[in-house]
Amino acid sequence: MSHMPCGVYHERYAQDHALWRSRFVRVKMLLLAVFVYLLFPLWADTYYLGVANMVGYTVLGALGVQLLIGYCGQVTLGHAAFLAVGAYTSTLLVLQVPWPNFMLRAGLAYPVSIIAAAFAAGLWSLLFGLPSARVKGFYLILTTMAAQFITVDFVITQYVSQIGGRGQAFSLPPGTIKIGVWTIDNDRRVYFLMAFLVTCLTFALVNLLRSKVGRAWIAIRDNDIAAETMGINVVRYKLLAFFVAGFMGGIAGAFWISNLAAVSPEHFPWSWSLWLVGVILIGGVGSIHGVFFGSLFMVVVMELLTLAVMSLAGVYPELLMKLNFVKESAFGLAICGFLLFEPNGIAYRWWQMKNYFNLWPFSY
Amino acid sequence: MTTPHTTIEDEVILSLQKVSLDFGRVRALVNVSLQVRRGTIHSIIGPNGAGKTVMLNCISGLYRPQEGTILLDGRPINHLKPYERARLGIARTFQKIELFKGMTVLDNIRLGRHMHLHSGVLSGAFYLGKTAREEIEHRAFIEEEIIELLEIAHIRNRVVGMLPYGLQKRVELGRALALQPRIILLDEPLAGLNLEEVEDMARFILDINEEERWRITCVLVEHDMGVVMDLSDRVFALNFGVPIMEGTPAEVQNSPAVIEAYLGQEDRYATRR
Repeated sequence: MSHMPCGVYHERYAQDHALWRSRFVRVKMLLLAVFVYLLFPLWADTYYLGVANMVGYTVLGALGVQLLIGYCGQVTLGHAAFLAVGAYTSTLLVLQVPWPNFMLRAGLAYPVSIIAAAFAAGLWSLLFGLPSARVKGFYLILTTMAAQFITVDFVITQYVSQIGGRGQAFSLPPGTIKIGVWTIDNDRRVYFLMAFLVTCLTFALVNLLRSKVGRAWIAIRDNDIAAETMGINVVRYKLLAFFVAGFMGGIAGAFWISNLAAVSPEHFPWSWSLWLVGVILIGGVGSIHGVFFGSLFMVVVMELLTLAVMSLAGVYPELLMKLNFVKESAFGLAICGFLLFEPNGIAYRWWQMKNYFNLWPFSY
Repeated sequence: MTTPHTTIEDEVILSLQKVSLDFGRVRALVNVSLQVRRGTIHSIIGPNGAGKTVMLNCISGLYRPQEGTILLDGRPINHLKPYERARLGIARTFQKIELFKGMTVLDNIRLGRHMHLHSGVLSGAFYLGKTAREEIEHRAFIEEEIIELLEIAHIRNRVVGMLPYGLQKRVELGRALALQPRIILLDEPLAGLNLEEVEDMARFILDINEEERWRITCVLVEHDMGVVMDLSDRVFALNFGVPIMEGTPAEVQNSPAVIEAYLGQEDRYATRR
């Protein structure tokens, strides 16, 4: 809870319950929307759009992880599995289902497949959430890791990838990913799809968190025994958290195929599950801002690192060869650094800054 | 002395019948029977380790007794889970504060409204119409009934983990009240409070018990004998899981069995010295 700016008073509960409670915040959000939907895509070239899409994809994936770890207290190390389920469900539906012609012409195949992918990933996640009814903490981490290995390394690699005799990867011919009249075939269109999905999912999660369901999740995180004596069916809400997180993961995975020429199990390695957890650790656990800050930080820092390595390549040619290792060590170092020096993440610093300015010029 | 009509106070709302619970070889409760009448403040006293909290845990469903029946309004509730018992109107506070430390005071109390709210995932995600209206209605209830009663308006937006102990105890009572329960189980609500806070808390307990708005039956576990004897309608004394006696505060105070449980046998005490 942060302070309201000096001089803002509410007279009705509705004002106090509003998502954006002061004019300053409303204007800020409007400017953000103008920037995201208009200025940035106008200004950016393919490279920047590509980076932005990567940030967006990370946000979409990390939202579900944040829900589970940051808001419901169920540590998950297998979220990439649900992204994979989403991506594969969507790809299979788009490629393998004999869609009626009018649906193809209207560009409905891909949107429908996104929704189906979300439900498939949600239910799959629910399945792997079942152990959470009995186990907590370290044991639950292991069962969620099992989700990763069973889903990606076993089911998808061994069986799903063989469907249609395509071998390891499903190639997506140009023009298959189509929404309405738009064929999602360049970075700018992928960007708009990403911006739309990020906006929708963020709103959905924020709204959930300020209503009955979200409060129950937070209560389970903070004190599950007290939550149960307050009338919360703890198992039901844990499973619901797994379902919603998987649902969001499914949308993220289904979105990402629009950016890929081919889908293969290698796009969803276990390290990507870890990466998503790292994103919320750096951004701030238990904060929606944290998802965005973490994703921006991780993607942008990695890009900067790539640029730095490129420019140093003349002096140390070996660095170029070891770029991947450099990136991964930077990732590890960043997590260590944040856990040591700012365990509440970037979002906490942001919150402190906001409060400072809200209370200014009275510092108490 | 006979009264021509039975008042509502005579009705038994909660009863334990020969409840026994062992933890391995430790007999935590032995054949405990208790009748709590509607609208009363019924205290459970006993030395440390007597099994008072175990009794509350059995009533609220955190422990399952191996033998015996627990009845609410004459219906057995043994098989019900804690959250199902909460829905039947049993709320509780904890000896060691069990608040949701990351949430604000307001959100803690809102959480207590959980079972009175009806929005699901879909309507929650859109936060339109029903959900928004519901949130505002319940906010009004919380502000006017609970925050007003407990005098915690000034801290409503503070994160609970950062509050002083006495206020946390008060917020915990507020969260339990938000359930609008018929019975409230208070596990040492006065432990660790200073004199002023004890007086406030005692007043709140009387308020929720006596005010027409609430009329909540209280089961009170407490060590502060002064307050227990002042507030209670009935007192139930327990020692090593075995019921010693039950009666009015005056009867219990003067019972040799209770005095012995608390102070030990006089001659044994003397020889040890």
